[in-house]
Amino acid sequence: MEAMLAIAIGLLSSCGVYLMLRARTFPVILGLTLLSYAVNLFLFASGRLTINAPPIISAEASHYTDPIPQALVLTAIVIGFGMTAYIVTLALRGLSESGDDHVDMTVESAENDKEGEPS
Amino acid sequence: MLGTIGTTLLHHRRLLAVVLIGIVGLVVSLTFVRFSAPDLALTQLSVEVVTIVLMLLALYYLPQSSPKESSRARVGRDILLAAGIGGGMAFTTYALLTSPFSTISDFYLQQSVPGGGGSNVVNVILVDFRGFDTLGEIAVLAMAALGAHALLDQLRVLAPKHDGAGRLWAQEPHPLFLKMLMQPLLPLALAVSVYIFLRGHNLPGGGFVAGLVTGVALILQSLAGGLTFAENRLPRNYPPLLGLGLAFAAGIGLVSWFFSRPFLTSTHGHFHLPLLGNIELASVIIFDLGVYLVVVATVLLILTELGKLHKGEQI
Repeated sequence: MEAMLAIAIGLLSSCGVYLMLRARTFPVILGLTLLSYAVNLFLFASGRLTINAPPIISAEASHYTDPIPQALVLTAIVIGFGMTAYIVTLALRGLSESGDDHVDMTVESAENDKEGEPS
Repeated sequence: MLGTIGTTLLHHRRLLAVVLIGIVGLVVSLTFVRFSAPDLALTQLSVEVVTIVLMLLALYYLPQSSPKESSRARVGRDILLAAGIGGGMAFTTYALLTSPFSTISDFYLQQSVPGGGGSNVVNVILVDFRGFDTLGEIAVLAMAALGAHALLDQLRVLAPKHDGAGRLWAQEPHPLFLKMLMQPLLPLALAVSVYIFLRGHNLPGGGFVAGLVTGVALILQSLAGGLTFAENRLPRNYPPLLGLGLAFAAGIGLVSWFFSRPFLTSTHGHFHLPLLGNIELASVIIFDLGVYLVVVATVLLILTELGKLHKGEQI
């Protein structure tokens, strides 16, 4: 079980990194999402894997899983959404400024944009 | 895992890639279920829905496919780099998971009920023991939303009339069945989110999840009925709502100063309400309400503003 999760995290992060190195904005967004899954799972795994022991105090439960990584990851997931949303709007802004969705704004496209600016 | 590889391989065809990344997110949330983290699974599931809607909206403006332009050497270099990083991550994780470990969480597990007044330890840590952290985190979220708001202000993107293959977008009206179904469903969804919110302290749930559920419910309205339909019925101005949420969360922290306790100290007790009987309430519920408001405002702000661009001209 541990090995499987480790492989999954490795795969998620390598795919995330590869996509982030692409030249267009949309793959970068996808890559960032994959990488954040990988990091969330990694943080979560640092509390070790426990099955059938949710951290909810009750009389019957004999043991609980580690609640601290879960609390950290819960906010990380929501902040990850905030970050994705910000990157998406950044990509759209880039699209409207430079006319295409390349991550580096080239000189030509910036100039084209100036010429072609709607009056 | 297959989904991940698929997303990478198919990133040139962007719509498919979005579908696959949704599958990856679902599998991640199932993993959380398996390893006894119901709170995380709920959050991941609802974030997933919002993220996919967001990506689809963005995809409407961005080109539908990525051109293949990287040179072979560059692709090779990137694959090597990615494989190195992935291998390193996998090795670290495996080493971490198989090493012995001692945790500091026994304190939280013991103190949760007497100290925080709730039996869902994850939620008690979030709103009580580490409330100051959470306050910072919702502030970050609010800042991201405001940043996006500023970036989208005055933004003019020309929406394409054609899809990638040159076909016209269908000008169909919104599906009638979905519309009819969504209207009675909205109060139900809102009731579910209130329920999740209230039970958060003792069972999986809480401000974050409830906020996301409300956000999803309201966004679905605009998907089903169209933007103008939703816009006439929703508040237009979200930044004040963000501020209100932060004010709730920080304000309840300040209240504890009046009882000469440290910032964000909580209290809890039993209240007797008519009809409902005895319920146990903790003061952190106000804090959670702040979290809830910030999350709802963020989700709605970003998605409705992105949707509004839609009403601009088309090429």
